[in-house]
Amino acid sequence: MTVPETASRPHRGTIFQENGRILDHHDAGADQWILRVHAPECARAAQPGQFAHLQCAPRLLMRRPLSIQRVDREAGWVEFLYKVVGDGTLALSQQAQGDTLSVLGPIGQPFRLHPERPKRLLLGGGVGIPPMIFLAHHLHLRGEAGQTHAVLGSEVPFPFHPRPSEILWPGLPHGAIATLPLLEDWGVACRLTSKAGIPGAHDGFVTDLARAWLKTLAPAERDQVELFACGPHPMLAACAELAAEFDLPCQVSLEEFMACAVGGCAGCTVPVRTPEGVAMKRVCVDGPVFAAADVFPEPERA
Amino acid sequence: MSDSRTDPRLALEFCGLHLNTPLVLLSGCVGFGEEYTRVAGFSNRDAGAICLKGTTGQARLGNAPHRVYETPDGMLNAIGLQNPGVDHVVDHTLPQLDFEETRFFANVSGSTIEEYIEVTRRFDDSPIDAIEINISCPNVKEGGVAFGNDPDMSARVVEACRKVTSKPLITKLSPNQTDIAENARRCIEAGTDAFAVINTLMGMAVDVENRRAVIGNNQGGLSGPAIKPIALLKVQQVYQVAAPHNVPIIGQGGVMNATDALEFLIAGASTVGVGTGLFYDPLCLPKILHGISDYMDRHGYTHVRDLTGTLQLNGAVSACAPPAPQDPAT
Repeated sequence: MTVPETASRPHRGTIFQENGRILDHHDAGADQWILRVHAPECARAAQPGQFAHLQCAPRLLMRRPLSIQRVDREAGWVEFLYKVVGDGTLALSQQAQGDTLSVLGPIGQPFRLHPERPKRLLLGGGVGIPPMIFLAHHLHLRGEAGQTHAVLGSEVPFPFHPRPSEILWPGLPHGAIATLPLLEDWGVACRLTSKAGIPGAHDGFVTDLARAWLKTLAPAERDQVELFACGPHPMLAACAELAAEFDLPCQVSLEEFMACAVGGCAGCTVPVRTPEGVAMKRVCVDGPVFAAADVFPEPERA
Repeated sequence: MSDSRTDPRLALEFCGLHLNTPLVLLSGCVGFGEEYTRVAGFSNRDAGAICLKGTTGQARLGNAPHRVYETPDGMLNAIGLQNPGVDHVVDHTLPQLDFEETRFFANVSGSTIEEYIEVTRRFDDSPIDAIEINISCPNVKEGGVAFGNDPDMSARVVEACRKVTSKPLITKLSPNQTDIAENARRCIEAGTDAFAVINTLMGMAVDVENRRAVIGNNQGGLSGPAIKPIALLKVQQVYQVAAPHNVPIIGQGGVMNATDALEFLIAGASTVGVGTGLFYDPLCLPKILHGISDYMDRHGYTHVRDLTGTLQLNGAVSACAPPAPQDPAT
């Protein structure tokens, strides 16, 4: 019955708890905040799609899961973008630069990159934007930015200053010209969407631009596309529908209220289709990334 | 005391089992024993025992989301006994566990007495070290009232399980009842070897904007520091009944640090359960152990068992006595 402590247990010691100093924490408008924390172990190990479980204030019993937006492995920091939506994120927004924060991470299954589908379409909505930024940066570092496209949507002002893109992206509706400067600098074609009348952003949903682009592709090109999505539930359902429409694989990153975040409490489960039927899977360690077709089965899409 | 894990004063016997430390990781908080080892620096060896997730006869999917929600100094949970069923646990989960690191307790749940018997019998024929009975499940044959809310039904479950196992039986008592001491008395008569005190208190949270219950199951179990004072009182009450029979108690409910753990030991617990506290600080176990060792140094205790039940109650009579009549002349 005895098994060596790590040999047959690769999951052991993969999540780090670090008391990190807040290096930067600023209000990005519309209750959105950008937080950068020194957490070198988490920064070293994190992959796009993973998240960290943050102690927002010592007085709060439950941590809050936040998607990782960027890491700098050399400088040892992890960056998050979050919106104040409740007690936890409100308390977090009151933490100042120089304060210490307990970071538990990185956690979860990251996005999987398939070499046979090098054209990657990243779809982020609202606080679902951060994992797309992390993924775009990762692809940039791999030298694959030229094959990467991103559509980011928000119903409030974006937490960064959009600017007109100089990267051509044929086939999109007229007027969709604004981009996220960070992605532009990494060489990733990116466009923005909003129903809130943001100049340069397409007046519609992320799936509108995605559909417009996919329609322009020849079948052989389209077969090389994979979708990656994170955002509100209706947006993810629309992304799943879009992927099904074009018969493309789509990975979605989910969120749910979470207690332990290490797989112990089964508090964050969602129904997921498996070969054996529907199973309740933990968003924390079985996810947060799932195949869209498994979490948005046909009846819900219809 | 550089390593509390090796502090021999903290190792103890519990129902004839040797435990490394007096800390028990609570059922429902630590999955099936391996989940927390994902955290670097966490070791199952810091736990005297790990109580596995509630297990039923057949696999259960559990409740719809949301299953957890933060409340002042606590949290609500309604997981709904999601588990793969006892056969899967015995055949596939237990062989993956390292029994050299710690002790593993099963947690048996059921909707009928027959299901409790079936699950207990299956665990009896397994390497599991002890069996905890979760008597807080609804009894589907008698109107859905939790077995554990009624001393008679509690005793029937314990008696039935007792007949099919020789392993140590731990009865997890519910605070959602009128007289926990009477329930404990009946469970001792029915053959329990130990108690876990307490299970969660049932509670609710309301989303006022949408006028809905937040928890998918509408109601959930409240845990965390909010329930500690209640748990301490229940431990003290059960200890009065259990101590004469040498029936030990796992004291549990909102333990976050060494002081909390010491409170439970002093109130009558032999071991201390940690659950929700791990969500706050996954690396709290060595800190709690260090704190207990330090306390023992300061107070001259040579073994942790000597702390159990050392609570001194105040003289209630004088506190409640009416004020002395005043001299009418003044």
